[in-house]
Amino acid sequence: MKPNFIQKVTNWGNFPVVEKEIKSEDSLQKIINFVDNSNEIIARGNGRCYGDASLSEHIFSTKRLNKFISFDRLNGVLECESGVLLSEILQVIVPQGYFLFVTPGTKFITVGGAIASDVHGKNHHAEGCFSEYLISFSLLNENGDVLQCSQTENVEKFWSTIGGMGLTGIILSAKFKLKNIETAYIRQESIKAENLDEIFKLFDESENWTYNVAWIDCLQTGNNIGRSILMRGEHAFRHQLPKNLQDNPLRLKKKLNPTVPFYFPNFLLNNLTVKIFNLLYFNKQRNKEVKSYIDYETFFYPLDAINDWNKIYGKSGFIQYQMVIPKEKGKEGMRKILETIAKSGNGSFLAVLKLFGENNPNAYNSFPVEGYTLALDFKVNAKLKNLVEKLDKIVEEYGGRIYLSKDSMSKSSLTNYLQNVQNPKFVSMQHKRIINNN
Amino acid sequence: MIILGSNSEISQAFIEKALEANEKYSTIYLFTSNKETTEKFAKHLDVKFLQQTEVIELDLRSEIDYTKFDYISSDLLFCATGYLGEGTEEGLYDQKNTELIIDINYAKLVPVLTFFAKKMERQRAGTMIVLSSVAGERGRQSNFIYGSAKAGLTAYLSGLRNYMFERKVHVLTIKPGFMDTKMTEGLPLNPKLTATPKQAAEAIYKAYKSGKNVAYILPIWRIIMLIIKNIPEFIFKKLKL
Repeated sequence: MKPNFIQKVTNWGNFPVVEKEIKSEDSLQKIINFVDNSNEIIARGNGRCYGDASLSEHIFSTKRLNKFISFDRLNGVLECESGVLLSEILQVIVPQGYFLFVTPGTKFITVGGAIASDVHGKNHHAEGCFSEYLISFSLLNENGDVLQCSQTENVEKFWSTIGGMGLTGIILSAKFKLKNIETAYIRQESIKAENLDEIFKLFDESENWTYNVAWIDCLQTGNNIGRSILMRGEHAFRHQLPKNLQDNPLRLKKKLNPTVPFYFPNFLLNNLTVKIFNLLYFNKQRNKEVKSYIDYETFFYPLDAINDWNKIYGKSGFIQYQMVIPKEKGKEGMRKILETIAKSGNGSFLAVLKLFGENNPNAYNSFPVEGYTLALDFKVNAKLKNLVEKLDKIVEEYGGRIYLSKDSMSKSSLTNYLQNVQNPKFVSMQHKRIINNN
Repeated sequence: MIILGSNSEISQAFIEKALEANEKYSTIYLFTSNKETTEKFAKHLDVKFLQQTEVIELDLRSEIDYTKFDYISSDLLFCATGYLGEGTEEGLYDQKNTELIIDINYAKLVPVLTFFAKKMERQRAGTMIVLSSVAGERGRQSNFIYGSAKAGLTAYLSGLRNYMFERKVHVLTIKPGFMDTKMTEGLPLNPKLTATPKQAAEAIYKAYKSGKNVAYILPIWRIIMLIIKNIPEFIFKKLKL
């Protein structure tokens, strides 16, 4: 036997950092042996959740489950192993005229992670979560059995695994439907909103658009609270594109992405620099409304263009706080939350606001419920815990909850919404934290 | 293209790198000791690149029937077969372990390489890229059976390159240092000295395109090995390396 390899491991927020065993295999028999021989296992994809969701005593990395299995080019159905990244899938499917039905704001997540978090995108109000297009997956459970799960086979496991944060086993492979596209471009309109009422109105007016998202400046106060830019988009048709893009509408030019070379020192990111950044961002757009055609990477994955952007938050790391507040009282709740943040002075770059549509009642472990969702990045510092407590209180008061893929310190009453996932074999640090604090 | 050791993560990364760089191969011949796993990779190449492949069983531990491979020829061969075995004290005194290390890394591999080299010689064109190891540059107590087999392989490749020069066949020897692969999983390797299969593929492809003879994957290994090779023997024998 080779020695167990204990490694320093942390997810995208660089918080918390732990030393745990990481194992990675591509042979099923070896994976089964690993599961048989260890307790407290959690699967980990590309480590793009922010907190402790994919950390545990024994981490199974799916990085070697990285093979495509089949691609039905006629009907748009793709099957691949769970460690394949969405970025790798896009490389294959976009030139063939297909796109992912649902994608989050980064393409550097794995298919297994997309299922375990049941990810959502800018089109949740129109097209739902990732699971809406999931045909089937294979799951290695706590007994070492491989189960084929779909809406007709092992149905209970199918739904508990979706959004189940890896607590039901290791997803090995998955099969899902793809969306037809004519071009790799998005027809985008971006509209400035001076305050919260205006942006809420814009969301309501834009409900027929497939993709809607707003960037919001959360350091504004008083009448300016909620100053934001709404970006709405549709997949562009070929005839709509400028002439020079029509010849090769499914191919994007190669771009060189800069890399953040090191962890930024702590003093660099403070209220003032965030204020300046937000001001520049808001004023970059001169006109109230701008229409444009942009490539899908710029539209869906603006931050992916900067490699290792998480390093700008420094070595102590950051959290992403994402909550949803049900629609009825959502506007009021959002206002309270933004006021609290502005008062705290704990600024966040690029807070993202979105209106979720109705949820799929079958996917009971999925995070989204109909209402407003806000995602903010906060640097980890002494004041943070206090701010999170305050925000949690408001979210609770308004009947909301927290997205588990982002959570690392929220109140467990906002995060203990998973059902049918209890089992002693597959446990994450996050799950333990939530259960123990309950 | 002919691949020996198709389940190696470095082989697979190299193939993908070459195809992404728009190299065209009518068929990629995937030689493997584990057909089932390689079939999966062949499917992967089909989905990703619509690449035609052929999976062929080749087990260096058993008798090889060369007539079965007679129809295969190509002007590019990539070999990443290798077996680390056990470098421990128990491993050293385990005859089977020693035999296996020598067979897979040298004794049984050399005839196979020569077989394909001869085909390239006949067509007067071709490149052979073969992974040896930094371990072959000086025997160290921690893995000298493996190291000596790789030393043999390196010497063979150097001779083959010399022999084939006038016959228009090029030989590229790769000397990887620490690699983050299945072979080394669980070993406590310094991450600064360890390359991923992707990094390896980039470096190898670059060395191949620029016609290099011998290449390391991370440049630091050239310096490390220069130092290790130059330590006087009376000191070296006392070191715990």
